Amino acid sequence: MIRRLCTIKQSLLLLTGLAVLLWAAGGWAQEASPSSATAPVVQEAAPPVVPAPPKIDTGDTAWVLISTALVLAMTAPGLALFYGGLVRSKNALGTIMQSFIILCLISLQWVLWGYSLAFGPDKGHLIGGLEWLGLNGVGLEPNADYAATIPHQAFMIFQMMFAVITPALITGAFAERIKFSSFLVFTLLWATFIYDPLAHWVWAVGGWVRNLGALDFAGGTVVHISSGVSALACAIVLRKRLGYGKEHMVPHNLPMTVLGASLLWFGWFGFNAGSAVSSGALATSAFVATNTATAAAALAWMVVEWMYRGKPTVLGAASGAVAGLVAITPASGFVGPMASIMIGLGAGVMCYLAVLWKSKLGYDDALDVVGIHGVGGVWGALATGLFASKAINAAGADGLFYGNPAQLGIQAVAVLVSVVFAFVGTFVILKLVDGLMGLRVSEEDERKGLDLSQHDERAYS
Amino acid sequence: MIDPEQDDNRKRRRQGVFSIIGLTIAVMLGTLAVFTGSVAAQDPAATSAQVVAPVAAPVLKIDTGDTAWVLTSTALVLAMTMPGLALFYGGLVRSKNVLSTIMQSVVILCLVSLLWILVGYSLAFGPDKGGLIGGLEWMGLSGVGSEPHPVYGPTIPHQVFMLFQLMFAAITPALITGAVAERMKFSALLLFAALWSLVIYTPVAHWIWGGGWLGKMGALDFAGGAVVHISSGVSALVCAIILGKRKGHGADYMAPHNLPFTLLGTGLLWFGWFGFNAGSALGANGLAGSTFLATHAAAATAALVWMGVEWAHRGKPTVLGLASGAVAGLATVTPASGYIGPFSAIVIGVFAGILCYFAVVWKGRMGYDDSLDVVGIHGVGGVFGILATGLLASKAINAAGADGLLFGNAGQLGIQAIMVVAVALFSVVGTWVILKVVDAAVGLRVSPEDESTGLDLSQHNERAYS
Repeated sequence: MIRRLCTIKQSLLLLTGLAVLLWAAGGWAQEASPSSATAPVVQEAAPPVVPAPPKIDTGDTAWVLISTALVLAMTAPGLALFYGGLVRSKNALGTIMQSFIILCLISLQWVLWGYSLAFGPDKGHLIGGLEWLGLNGVGLEPNADYAATIPHQAFMIFQMMFAVITPALITGAFAERIKFSSFLVFTLLWATFIYDPLAHWVWAVGGWVRNLGALDFAGGTVVHISSGVSALACAIVLRKRLGYGKEHMVPHNLPMTVLGASLLWFGWFGFNAGSAVSSGALATSAFVATNTATAAAALAWMVVEWMYRGKPTVLGAASGAVAGLVAITPASGFVGPMASIMIGLGAGVMCYLAVLWKSKLGYDDALDVVGIHGVGGVWGALATGLFASKAINAAGADGLFYGNPAQLGIQAVAVLVSVVFAFVGTFVILKLVDGLMGLRVSEEDERKGLDLSQHDERAYS
Repeated sequence: MIDPEQDDNRKRRRQGVFSIIGLTIAVMLGTLAVFTGSVAAQDPAATSAQVVAPVAAPVLKIDTGDTAWVLTSTALVLAMTMPGLALFYGGLVRSKNVLSTIMQSVVILCLVSLLWILVGYSLAFGPDKGGLIGGLEWMGLSGVGSEPHPVYGPTIPHQVFMLFQLMFAAITPALITGAVAERMKFSALLLFAALWSLVIYTPVAHWIWGGGWLGKMGALDFAGGAVVHISSGVSALVCAIILGKRKGHGADYMAPHNLPFTLLGTGLLWFGWFGFNAGSALGANGLAGSTFLATHAAAATAALVWMGVEWAHRGKPTVLGLASGAVAGLATVTPASGYIGPFSAIVIGVFAGILCYFAVVWKGRMGYDDSLDVVGIHGVGGVFGILATGLLASKAINAAGADGLLFGNAGQLGIQAIMVVAVALFSVVGTWVILKVVDAAVGLRVSPEDESTGLDLSQHNERAYS
């Protein structure tokens, strides 16, 4: 039986490998053809027809490329270590591995079909078309719809890093108990059926939530609500870890977690300020808002915890910082520094309480994805409807406090839509994967730890 | 019994220190001489340049975006060596050697930085002498100012280009340290790194990038497949063979003492590699964007493929395998990254994952102790990457490059093959000679006793964890 499973696994691997190769060969043929055949023709035809080609700005391009590298550093090594330090030492590698492998897997998914589904030509306001499959037509010329001063591929790869980190955030909810193979399948399905459509609705030209006028500067709904709510579905469907509530399950290496939190903070400047897709006033104001809210949230969490529990913890300060970063994400390009302090304070208090109340609700969200990304994301999206101001970003809208209560309503719709879609979708995907190959490792493997049972390695020797 | 041995050790140590001091003084004196010479010679040179400049070429203008990008890339490549590579290697050794392993990367960064400013840059990129080496005209950065150089980044200050290249010169010998880990004497390492950087790295960089014979021949190496990865990978092989195996190799348990460290290092290497490759476009433009994409696509693919092959071959996907696969993909795509599109990058990633995995597996049969797999990853990855550039390069991606075999230009593959052979041969012979010289001067290996104690205590008198 086991041997048969093994051969099935092997043949699956082989098939996937072959599929990737075929894909690559196909796309590669596309790469090949213009150079040999069409390129000279294009060169001859181009100058008289095109009046004013969009011009690449080196400052903007430099900033977006740097931001892309910064967001990569958020996933690996940032998030990997943040989560890796929080689990027990027998699961450290398994947890780090999840972030790393998502980076690899979704990078390819995004190049092959993800970017086209999310940002390709709109189909009925629901999904991108397949025209940009395999980056067909996504070249080095700027795309004026998304970023008029940088190569289209730079925008594409910047967005890729967002698509990568979102499923990686979810891994905190099912840490220490999911089977590696099922996790891979889940991630691929989740990225394709939840992330790509949601990103299309909110960010792509023609997406219906964007058309409503919903504001999400850098991914409060697309990244944080979607991952936070999906994490809740995962924690519920996968149930608790063995011995949860009875055994001692403290973080095995908090300095590692703090290192991870610092890299997240560092990288988040790319995430938020990079979302201006230009290097100028808007990027600067998003940068200031991001740092201010984060500082406020970390302090707020620490103080509330100090009052409530008697001691300010390091884990609390790190969690507070991440909560602040999450909450400011959708608002960062639309609010000023004072508003960002309010958003940060709110995030610190609310996310702290959410994490505290988790235990009363009985689900095992191992590393508090729901409390931080779910709650922080919802608060941030709503707060954008409160504090947004056209004085900061003329391309945005005014919020409730600037005389436009309707914006809050629109933000609430966006929140509701992403919550329902992500929860139901994730639930279905999980049930599907569970039926297909089983989600959890065996009890014995869970006791042994994922490092040994899934990867045959030890973190420390 | 012990006394004479200690005495001998002390004598050798003293010899080592003296030879290092001697080297430094020689370099400093040379610099001084050139400096005074260049000050004297500067005026006529400057006026003649002023006379020629307005006639021959338009005045080069610094672009702020390009400069910002290359400066950032420089910092990114620094982060690759320290802390990236330092932690990558540091996690792979036993806990008694972790500090010394980290130390090797850090001290090489410092040492090569100084050498590069004093003489290295001039030898590598200075005015060409017979296609073989750069002249000494730019010693001590004489004449390397904030004006752009027409060839080395026409839109950025010349010093920025110099500094960007400095980081490449620093990481290359640091890569080799993986082959000598856990057994090389610290003084010997310093001497070796200084000599290697001057005798091997600078000529090879000159041949390919500094206007030397390989570059003139049309050899393509976008960001250092031959200059960085083949040279370090092949030299690592020579080091592993000459130094011999670690005590207890094959018998003792030598598992990595802290794999999360290694993964942290992998993440920082990946992060920094965007500066390494996309920064080599020397501007923030379409080429930088496409290089960035090719780099990332190859790394992701190679990591997945290594994991898949290992899963099928050994039964479990390991975290170390994933990390090694990512680095293999990054090393392999380096020379090609600026000449290929995303799908060629995926093809390169697939082969990098497979070839480097089997190179590392077969190492066991060959019997040398390349402790941290520099040969299997950088050597094999570098060679394949250079050859793949000859297959997959396309002028449609980079008009300044050339077409490869698959785009109708078979000659390019031949040129690439010549580059592989030349760089590999030169590195083997040169490294062998340098190692013999260093061995005679200070001795290469620590004593067996010191090796058992661990290098942290025996070489640095420190413990990593208390």
